[in-house]
Amino acid sequence: MVIVRRKELSLREKLYLPEIARGLSITFRKLFEKKITRQYPEEPLPKNEVTRGQPRLVVKDDGNIACVSCGMCEIACPAYAITIDGGETDRAIEREPVRFEIDMLRCILCGFCEEACPKDAIFMSDELELADYSRAALIYDLDKLKRPKAALQKRIDYVYRLNNRWRKSSSTR
Amino acid sequence: MSDAVRDFLVWFIKCNVIYGGLLGTAAGMTLAERKVSAWMQYRHGPNRVGPWGLLQPIADGIKFIFKESLTPDGANKWLFRCAPALAAIPAMLTVAVIPFGPAIPFIPGEHKFFSVTDLDIGLMYLLSIGGLSIYGVILGGWASNSKFSLLGGLRASAQMISYELTLILSILAVVALSGSISLREIVETQSGSILSWNVFHQPLAFVLFSIAAFAETNRHPFDFAECEPELVSGFHTEYSSMRFAMFALGEYCAMVVMASLWTTLFLGGYKVPFWDDAPWFLCVAAFLVKTSLFLFLYLWVRWTLPRFRFDQLMALGWKVFLPLSLANLFLTGAAVSFGVDLPW
Repeated sequence: MVIVRRKELSLREKLYLPEIARGLSITFRKLFEKKITRQYPEEPLPKNEVTRGQPRLVVKDDGNIACVSCGMCEIACPAYAITIDGGETDRAIEREPVRFEIDMLRCILCGFCEEACPKDAIFMSDELELADYSRAALIYDLDKLKRPKAALQKRIDYVYRLNNRWRKSSSTR
Repeated sequence: MSDAVRDFLVWFIKCNVIYGGLLGTAAGMTLAERKVSAWMQYRHGPNRVGPWGLLQPIADGIKFIFKESLTPDGANKWLFRCAPALAAIPAMLTVAVIPFGPAIPFIPGEHKFFSVTDLDIGLMYLLSIGGLSIYGVILGGWASNSKFSLLGGLRASAQMISYELTLILSILAVVALSGSISLREIVETQSGSILSWNVFHQPLAFVLFSIAAFAETNRHPFDFAECEPELVSGFHTEYSSMRFAMFALGEYCAMVVMASLWTTLFLGGYKVPFWDDAPWFLCVAAFLVKTSLFLFLYLWVRWTLPRFRFDQLMALGWKVFLPLSLANLFLTGAAVSFGVDLPW
């Protein structure tokens, strides 16, 4: 059992008006303090390589995408957001996607596709803003997903750093 | 142009200026309320519509007009429609006797004072018309056919009756001191230095009036007519669109009038301290500055204090404020009739 004893009020507190004045002085000081609201569209969110935004496809320095349409990400995707149709190509890798679509309304930004990819072709970018006027416009195709490798380099390095740490600890067994 | 036409024109223009000013201030108060509350909570407040959000009241008004006006099942339709008007109109009528400034030199004829009318019994008119606004609240609460609305209306009426006593008794002490119930004459008795303001002659009445003014206008910490945590939103729970806005408008107009009355009675009205023959526009500016002080106090207190409990409010009103204001009136009356200067 807990007995809560009420605090004995002093005369000053019982008069109430001095305490009101004290409260008012506190709120008045708050009027001029720094605002902590972020004015969002003008002040963007802080981002870095750890930010797990929407997945994007890497375009290598030679201008071709790294994807070989193996379908690993399609299988790994828990939200069934990725659709890939593979096709042949004359390049040495022989296969590339003719259709690569991510339904951004389904994508949950989990990053499983990034982990599943054997060819370093898909990475989570720091792009977070997702708004449009129709559902169809939010199904991103190859053109909307392509990003030059340089733009994703920080994230790529970060993923390598993580994976290397993982490999070292497992190799001690 | 005959004198009658000229006088009518003068009066008409003055009405437009004063009512435009009242409604504009009421609209500005809705923005000020949100801004001040935001600043006190480290927020920015509305800042998207126009520069610094200044056009927000217009956006709100347009929104209110285009919303659907719902009438609940089982509501008394006629009273339900009347109530918002009944709540808003008395607040707008009372501003008619507030003296905003002295006689304006370039205005000829009888309407030379900067107020809609210069009534001899201005204070009585103001208090009796102001007392009517409770009908809007209680009728709105009753006609809605909702328990929350009815409770809100009941509380509002009980509270207003209790605190009107304190309000009027504290005003009476001022009236006893200045010997007139014309608001203009009460202001004229406060000319001269800052020490002739009634706040220094009637400090107790000043405090009592300030507190009762909060209760009279149903403002925090006495807003039991709304009281969100218990009564959803009190007497206007069932109201929507412009009818709801009328209640809000009435509340804000009443606040502006109460602040003006506070200025007039206790802070020397339109008098510029230490400068009796100041030009009329400076006098009006002085009035507006003093009034906005109290308007800011309304917002300031609202975002500082928690709400009282209803029984605390009643106990405070009847057991503390009523005896205090009676004693104050008695002392003042005795001092005036025996020609003694009060010690303070």
